[in-house]
Amino acid sequence: MSSKTDTKIVKLGDAPKARPHHSGWRDWLGVVPFFLFVALFVALPSLTLLVRAFLDEENHLTLANLAGLLKSDILNAYWVTIKISLATALGGGLLGFLMAYAITVGKLPGGVRSSLLTFSGVASNFAGVPLAFAFIATLGRTGLVTILLKTLFNLDLYKAGFSLYSFWGLTLTYIFFQFPLMILVITPALDGLRKEWSEAAANLGASSATYWRKVALPILMPSILGSMILLFGNSFGAYATAYSLTGGFINLITIVIGSQIKGDILYNPGLGYALAVGMVIVMAVMMAIYYSLRRRSERWLRQ
Amino acid sequence: MAETMKKRSFWSWLWIILGVLYFILPLYSTFDFSLRAKKGVLSLVSYTNVFKDPSFWKTIEFSLIIGIFTIIVSIILVAPTAYWIRLRLPQLRGMVEFISMLPFVVPAIVLVFGAIRAFSGAPFYLTNTFFGTYVLLVAMYVVLALPFVYRAIDTGLAAIDVRALTEAAQSLGASWSTILFKVIFPNLRVAIINSAFLTLATVIGEYTIASFLVGIKAFGPYMSLIGQNRTYESSSLAIISFLMTWGFMGLIQIFNRGKVDSSSLAGAR
Amino acid sequence: MHTKKMFFVLSIVVIMSMLLAACGKTSTGSAADSDLVKAAKAEGSLTVIALPHDWCNYGEAISAFSAKYGITVNELNPDAGSADEIEAIKANKDNKGPQAPDVIDVGYGFGPQLIEEGLVQPYKVSTWDSIPDESKDPDGYWYGDYYGVLAFEVNSDVVTNVPQDWSDLLKPEYAGQFALSGDPRASAQAQMSVYAAALYNGGSLDDVQAGLDFFKQVNDAGNFVPVIAKQATVAKGETPIILRWDYSALADKDTLAGNPNIAVVYPKSGTIAGIYIQAISAYAPHPNAAKLWMEFLYSDEGQNIWLKGYCHPIRYNDMKEKGTLDAEAVAKLPTFDGPVAFPSIDQINAAKALIADQWMSVVGADVK
Repeated sequence: MSSKTDTKIVKLGDAPKARPHHSGWRDWLGVVPFFLFVALFVALPSLTLLVRAFLDEENHLTLANLAGLLKSDILNAYWVTIKISLATALGGGLLGFLMAYAITVGKLPGGVRSSLLTFSGVASNFAGVPLAFAFIATLGRTGLVTILLKTLFNLDLYKAGFSLYSFWGLTLTYIFFQFPLMILVITPALDGLRKEWSEAAANLGASSATYWRKVALPILMPSILGSMILLFGNSFGAYATAYSLTGGFINLITIVIGSQIKGDILYNPGLGYALAVGMVIVMAVMMAIYYSLRRRSERWLRQ
Repeated sequence: MAETMKKRSFWSWLWIILGVLYFILPLYSTFDFSLRAKKGVLSLVSYTNVFKDPSFWKTIEFSLIIGIFTIIVSIILVAPTAYWIRLRLPQLRGMVEFISMLPFVVPAIVLVFGAIRAFSGAPFYLTNTFFGTYVLLVAMYVVLALPFVYRAIDTGLAAIDVRALTEAAQSLGASWSTILFKVIFPNLRVAIINSAFLTLATVIGEYTIASFLVGIKAFGPYMSLIGQNRTYESSSLAIISFLMTWGFMGLIQIFNRGKVDSSSLAGAR
Repeated sequence: MHTKKMFFVLSIVVIMSMLLAACGKTSTGSAADSDLVKAAKAEGSLTVIALPHDWCNYGEAISAFSAKYGITVNELNPDAGSADEIEAIKANKDNKGPQAPDVIDVGYGFGPQLIEEGLVQPYKVSTWDSIPDESKDPDGYWYGDYYGVLAFEVNSDVVTNVPQDWSDLLKPEYAGQFALSGDPRASAQAQMSVYAAALYNGGSLDDVQAGLDFFKQVNDAGNFVPVIAKQATVAKGETPIILRWDYSALADKDTLAGNPNIAVVYPKSGTIAGIYIQAISAYAPHPNAAKLWMEFLYSDEGQNIWLKGYCHPIRYNDMKEKGTLDAEAVAKLPTFDGPVAFPSIDQINAAKALIADQWMSVVGADVK
């Protein structure tokens, strides 16, 4: 670290104490650029969403669009979307965590680490039509793996009841971009686990499992939760992959919204926007759950 | 200790191999399909067709450049903010996290049309010039990348003791910019680089916003145009874009290679 | 002396009037008004949307237009649906930049809505009279451009016994092989597929329920694959039988060039036609370029470009009489003598509502 002045000799007692900080107005200055940006480029464009959710086709105020949220097939669509987001957040989160563990604590060679990180970068956004086709080419009826299993092990996946064009098929496909996202986001946290801690635990006689249960996981829990909520959101808002793979046959809310505001057939943007407002509400609820979980896990860390 | 090390190594390799399989199989299936453009033989003709298309080079160059600007703006916007909130305004953390998740639930098509409505007329007139349009495009991409960038950087901040570092630096007389760029950022190196990867990947493949702001000048709409009616080329294009983006990220990694391995102040290893 | 002068003056007058008459003729008669061309060139560019290059050979139309008049064409979102195009006009009302579409090409059923919401401006091309009355708005706000007919697109390398009719789709030999090329709640092609199935399986133009029932039967028989089929999935063999507009199927056949072999078959009992319509945006930043584009598309040259893309241009019958059709392109167009239904706008909109409402419950995947 360089400093402009000569290093002062710091006597004990000179160091600023950790004290509860009351935010003065100058502190708020620091976040002005961010909030300005958000106001301009997130809030302003999203305003249409909120406004048009309450307008009908003649531009009169109405609650009919919001009432449309309560229809059973719409509620079902929200539920299915939440389910698939939870499944892929947990599945992708677990796989991603284990791989991130392998390249950090697991001490695999640096080359493996950097290639995995860069590869995860690309894979985390490999979605939509190309991903759907990649999985069709792998696990579809004429897919590579399907045919391999048939010829090598005499196992006919589709006769056994598996279908790529189902909830679980879509989950498998989503996980492809979920777990690399987890890897990228959780790696810094795993890097932050100090060797000294595991060594100290070992010196005190703790097994590796105990160390993880009582030291490492509690420390990592806020970050793990944060990453999982990111995965949840990522899956919740996904559209192109689901549309290409399931043709709208699985009733996801993004596809229902899409059919109202895009496409050639229906065109009820008011309802579409109301549905999107519904998504914001669901997201808010999920985040509230996430906060309470994280607060509990951070309690351990507060000095 | 050696036993645990060996066991750990085994499991580590196992998970990596499983993960790599998960990655490789779908990509390999696409690759295999892309080689079958000529009936009965394996050939690279679908690849040469893509490389011969001048639009391919123009659009990928365009999107790469937009991507670089988006990375820069994203990090400059988000990293200091996330740091400041952790340090001084923890009560805002919840709200900022919620805001950072909004781009997931507001459909891209609403964002782009909302942005056009808001910025095409008075007083901004952003869409009347190409430069203005590109500014708007970068801004929208920063919004799209926000969830990933914020989370990656926030996780990185969680792993270091922000308060202690700041106070230590302050007690040595460091100014805010010194603290930010010479103390905090170096400790966030991995998080920042990972954010850069996520941002670049988001920009290169993005379709909806680009298609309404700049049309087929960007790589996403170009891929869609090819994908509509050129089966084999669309598969080879998917593989090519994957490899090129991977290569570009590798460059970013190398660019920072010198400092990745050196021990950072508060990170482990 | 006087007579000579008078003769001279008279000659001048005659010559002048002849010249004036000749000038007058060119400015009102031909397909491209030179004033319009000048104004369009002054504007310099045209913004289009939702025009994939292989859809009705739009790629050639765009490059031919651009080359002929030196006008740059900005192409927005080639994948846009009709609703996207309408939203784009609405969002760009105040925008004179290259994001505002000048011209749109949307589904037949959207015509009345375009007028109601004030999104389009009227323009009658010089060949207006040769456009059939049912396919255009009398005031010139929108006008049909081309139509296609629904057909089976079959990967005949995988499916050796090519299905010939609707009822064949129920046969057990086609298990897991049939798919639609879109979601009937969002894609005109898919919706018309259900509509067509209704017509030839017990329903009528005003009763679409039979179409839904038919697809339920196909699904129950295990022949239906719930994925959006594209050229790639057909070529891969994953969805070897699909329902497509014949022009798209024929374009696919050309692109794939035997790898694999594609058979394009019209269902014997009959099929349905789908018309698309053109219009100029009321807020077009380049109205003259837009009008010139329309003149180009509705000229013999433009109509023949669409014909080359296997679409039936809307002036087909007129050009056939006048003998201006491109003979080579006509020869490549497959003929079909069976019944082809042309539903009206009201019928289409009624069918839309029912199909969109019922589709999931009739055919939807049962998600636990």
